[in-house]
Amino acid sequence: MKDYSGKILEIDLSHGLIRFKDIEPQLLRQYLGGIGFNARILYEQMPAGADPLGEDNILVFSAGTLVGTPFPTASRTEASAKSPLSGGFGTSNSGAFFGLQLKTAGFDALVIKGKSPDPVYIAINDEDVQILAAGSLWGKECWECVDYLEKKHFGSEIALIGHGGENLLRFASIENGRYDGWGRTGLGAVMGSKNLKAITVKGTKGRKAHDPVALLKAVKDGQQLIKSASSYLAFTEYGTLNASIPYSKFKAISAHNFTKGTLPGWKDIGGRPIVDKYGSRHVACQSCIIACGHWVELTEGKYAGVKVKDLEITPVMSFGATVGLDTEAIIKASELCQRYGVDMVSVGGVLGFAIELYKQGIISKEDIGFELEFGDDEAAFKLLHMIINREGIGDILAEGTKRAAERFAQADRYAIQIKGMEIPMIDPRGRWSTWTLGMLTNLRGGDHLRCRNPVENLRFNERDEEYSKERFGFKQSMYDQLDIPEEVKRKAIDLEQDTTDIPEMSKWAEDLINLYNSVGICIRPPVMEKVGPTIIAEACRAFIGIEFTPADLMESAERTWNLIKLFNLREGEKVEASKFPRRFYEEELDGKVLDEAKVQKVLEKYYQVRGWDSKTGRPEKDTLKRLQLDQLSE
Amino acid sequence: MKRIVVDAEVCTGCGICQLVCSVHKTGQWHPALSRIKIKQMPEFGIKVPVVCMQCSNPPCAVFCVMNLIYKDPDTGYTMRREDKCIGCRACEIACPFSAAIMDPIREVVVNCDLCGGEPVCVAYCPEGALLYMDEAEAGDKRRSRLGLKSGEIFPRGECSGRGS
Repeated sequence: MKDYSGKILEIDLSHGLIRFKDIEPQLLRQYLGGIGFNARILYEQMPAGADPLGEDNILVFSAGTLVGTPFPTASRTEASAKSPLSGGFGTSNSGAFFGLQLKTAGFDALVIKGKSPDPVYIAINDEDVQILAAGSLWGKECWECVDYLEKKHFGSEIALIGHGGENLLRFASIENGRYDGWGRTGLGAVMGSKNLKAITVKGTKGRKAHDPVALLKAVKDGQQLIKSASSYLAFTEYGTLNASIPYSKFKAISAHNFTKGTLPGWKDIGGRPIVDKYGSRHVACQSCIIACGHWVELTEGKYAGVKVKDLEITPVMSFGATVGLDTEAIIKASELCQRYGVDMVSVGGVLGFAIELYKQGIISKEDIGFELEFGDDEAAFKLLHMIINREGIGDILAEGTKRAAERFAQADRYAIQIKGMEIPMIDPRGRWSTWTLGMLTNLRGGDHLRCRNPVENLRFNERDEEYSKERFGFKQSMYDQLDIPEEVKRKAIDLEQDTTDIPEMSKWAEDLINLYNSVGICIRPPVMEKVGPTIIAEACRAFIGIEFTPADLMESAERTWNLIKLFNLREGEKVEASKFPRRFYEEELDGKVLDEAKVQKVLEKYYQVRGWDSKTGRPEKDTLKRLQLDQLSE
Repeated sequence: MKRIVVDAEVCTGCGICQLVCSVHKTGQWHPALSRIKIKQMPEFGIKVPVVCMQCSNPPCAVFCVMNLIYKDPDTGYTMRREDKCIGCRACEIACPFSAAIMDPIREVVVNCDLCGGEPVCVAYCPEGALLYMDEAEAGDKRRSRLGLKSGEIFPRGECSGRGS
């Protein structure tokens, strides 16, 4: 601990105050870093009922505990604030090199409060922190600003907003350099509301490792573990697109705003072959040995000249499936989202929603100015520009599908969202699994990234009567090597029946991902399959010198999850809000529909597993006491 | 003599080499102290690791006013007597690759010493972008890359002559 000299940098934009705070050992021990810090800071320091786009909202960036070490994939920084989209805990995770610079500048967390009267940006160069006038940067797209700021603050990493954040789109993202971003939950709008255009960070310092030899060994062990994962080779080659074709075969992709389940020729639109066709070099985040990103340069066709890091499943599903675009248009769309700073998932959802409203006759050509059709890229991009600039109907759509649906009669059926967040990629009617239940239990709303079975089997797709099991589908050897404590393993996986218990596995998966987001490592499947709390505990000990047991780490992750739940409850989250859109319960997809009562039952079982009241979804007193949250919540 | 050969084409820019170098050499994770640097050019999607090339006739040695840089007679590595370094950075300027690196803490200039024959960056590189090999072998590797490239440019059947 004595070697670990991280600080918290607190900036009050209202008064131009800059403060350096020490990290209390207790905070580090109980919350680790990353999302843990964010949850604690927001819960403690933000007044209840704060306006997400007002002065009281607090925006926090925390690099994970292990960020800056060569531990595989340790690059992630969590950004959090009260979400303008869901009204709850808004949080998003991004990799690349921002976290490394923040840490080498000497900071674990960056807390931004208040609201600047004029557009500004923050320049951090070790302890030299300045609030500078953004001047003509305001109103410029992200890449132009990055070009300018990279020259002016050489060697810095840059977090910034584009038109999306400036125009307070409820699903605006904060971009992380050119090609990465904190996409979900509309954090860009929070930054825009604070009149903060960009943050540049450059660090030239280092930190001592408590035990360098052990750290290097943990790194090597971590690398070997990930390399031995069953999905490793496929991931180094095709990245996240591996899931694309299996989900299309299950008829469970978000095609045409969740009406189709699959699309003809999907393999060549959004499957692995597009990597062979368009991808060139592999691009990694800091310390990553998977390098799932692909560098793409379009040299011919309508969008020749586009250069971008892309071919990930998120844009492919959002634009390829939900909006129905072809591959080159998908690549162009993700470039536009990165230039303007908007969340790809929500943009896809909003575009799909608008196109369906048009086709259903709820909005007309007069409302928009042109015709809309699934797969029409020019119309989609025109509408995207209208949304980004809040022109005409774009002004309504910029509020997200949930709020936009309130403005049109009979429109809420087509708004595919949970708690205001547009649902990405997977249709739970086509595939029911830990992953799809995770959309309901996710504390940030309709989202797929906070609960995924560490050993998801993409060969099987069966739904049991009770909605509480999915096929395990692996051999005993896989079961044996999972880094899950015996008692959890026995409850979550039944080898004889070859099933995984969805509510039990959901809790484990959520806590594991929360742990990853706290220590700053990535949730790609090869990591989730192999890297468990045991090796993370060893890496943490070697680096910061605090002895954690694997159980301590999981408890810390659970504590953070419960604290975020408390935050949401304080902000008025209702238990009824954890509900799929009506379409999933009422309209058949490939002959399948969800039974609301059964979903509810699984959800109640999940609440029980979590130690929450099964009817209200509130954490029970005993649970809070066990997690030492009882005093904080009173 | 063996040295570090950079295969920039497969480098993903993960930066593990920089961190393991600094941890190994100084016990700190401190990318600024690393003797290998990755130059990122995100607008082109290019990442190039830059490390001491172990020149046969090192310009840094010529420029060193204190005469501290020498070729180790046993290994052939370019070495320096860091304890005598005055930190003038003439070698940094002379190095055509900017591979001589100022250590901001000790205020001396350092370069890659190949970890005495077991370079840790090579051991940790996940992509095989850093290789520790003999010069002859390295040249051969580059030549076979050239062969593959020409195969791409002139695919079978498209150039004159059969079975080329």
